[in-house]
Amino acid sequence: MLEVHDLHASYGKVEVLRGVSLEVGDGEIVGLLGRNGVGKTTTLKAIMGLVRASAGRATFDGVDLTGLAAHKVPAQGIGYVPQGRGIFPNLTVEENLFLGLRQDPSPPQRALVFDRFPQLKDRMDQKGGTLSGGEQQQLAIARCLVMQPKLIILDEPTEGIMPILIKEIRSEIRKINKAGVSILLVEQNLVTAFKICSSIYLMEKGAIVHRSSAADLKTQPDVVHRYLGMAA
Amino acid sequence: MDIVVALAFNGLVWGLIIALIALGLSIIFGLLDIINLAHGDFFMVGTVLTWFVLEATGNYWIAFLIVPLMGFLMGALVERAVIQPIRGTAALSIVATFGLSIIIQEVVRAGFGAAPKRILPPIEGTIPLFGIEYDIYRIFAAAVSIVAIFGFFAFLHRTKLGTWMRAVRFDRDIALAMGVPARTVYMVTFALGFAMAALGGAVAAPITTVDFQTGVDVLPFCFMAVIIGGLGNLPGTVAAAVLLAVTEGIVTSFTDPTVARIVSLCLMSAVLIARPHGIFAGATR
Repeated sequence: MLEVHDLHASYGKVEVLRGVSLEVGDGEIVGLLGRNGVGKTTTLKAIMGLVRASAGRATFDGVDLTGLAAHKVPAQGIGYVPQGRGIFPNLTVEENLFLGLRQDPSPPQRALVFDRFPQLKDRMDQKGGTLSGGEQQQLAIARCLVMQPKLIILDEPTEGIMPILIKEIRSEIRKINKAGVSILLVEQNLVTAFKICSSIYLMEKGAIVHRSSAADLKTQPDVVHRYLGMAA
Repeated sequence: MDIVVALAFNGLVWGLIIALIALGLSIIFGLLDIINLAHGDFFMVGTVLTWFVLEATGNYWIAFLIVPLMGFLMGALVERAVIQPIRGTAALSIVATFGLSIIIQEVVRAGFGAAPKRILPPIEGTIPLFGIEYDIYRIFAAAVSIVAIFGFFAFLHRTKLGTWMRAVRFDRDIALAMGVPARTVYMVTFALGFAMAALGGAVAAPITTVDFQTGVDVLPFCFMAVIIGGLGNLPGTVAAAVLLAVTEGIVTSFTDPTVARIVSLCLMSAVLIARPHGIFAGATR
């Protein structure tokens, strides 16, 4: 489904990605973990076309994403929930929700959102910036689902969320995945990553340094400690 | 007293036209981070095109309808040829739009001539207003400006393209990741800014002189409105334009226009000292 091969990218003269390769298969939840500043978010941005790849390529169902204009990537079936959620505080919940649609949302598209996130229905006229962190995360995920993606890329969805709501978000990601949507997840919360990912890539200094199933990684505390600086 | 009322009304009419032009300047700055030194010339092009269309057809109303459309097309062309290649470099935008301003003025001087010309108001007559006889055309000009300003805000808040403009203005990358065609949004925004200035030119042509240098006078006034209203603050820009023009109108009735402009500049300086982000900063962004 998603294949990233030897992806390189730079910010000015600083090379941030130095040959990232990873794959996300149909129906998988794949984790991308690493310390701060190793290039996880840049990898996601390069896949989305927001950072230009200087070498290598990312393909999705055979389509070369690195050659596409950034605004055409979502139409390939890829949803993106950026770090910090990326809600437009100056737009209403409704405007945020249906931003990517060219036409007015159809009744099935509305139902898709309201069945899963009924609380958003009563907040449609509210500004996005007035929602709580958890509600904004729901809105960010709902905004992706409206586009009926085959893959959702989530950048630290539990960051800044109250612990009590993290479980809900995990459960939501599982439900979305069970409905047939693959997930590529960047996450600092190791518990979340271990609980929901089928396979995990570890990054360091702009490159993938380790790949294994989540179950295998749990049994390798030395690897977790070396690359993430924390206990498994 | 009559002269005070008449000049205050003239100031109000002119302020509304300026508000229309300054709105374009403000959205171009707010969305594209472009300090457009050619914006006054877009207004001038509107007045000159009106003169040419009137010469060709003999009908002002044809010019009134097609000049904004011509401005839109020219704006799209300028955005692609001049603005798009330098996007993201604010300092270059000043140089590029200054160069564009000179090019526009010299092209107009070559084609239209250096001598100022006048267009007669297409609606003649006066009506009594607060004790004076006031030109019907000026009231029409104010009404058109008000409708255009409200139309612009309706476009911004009620259409998909307007929503995209507000989204791109806040965060271009996130908007792109949601599938918003940001390059098209930039082009439409710039074209819309040109079209609004051109409409301002078409409306103002019968009450001002048509001259290749008109834009040079209009630009500082628009910038003052944008700065006093708060950079990128659209309702603030409209309010500041009207406030400045009415103030200048009233002051002009007691003394000469140069003193009125000095008053405006003092007002702007006071705002910059007391509220550097504009009188209406924080109200809308």
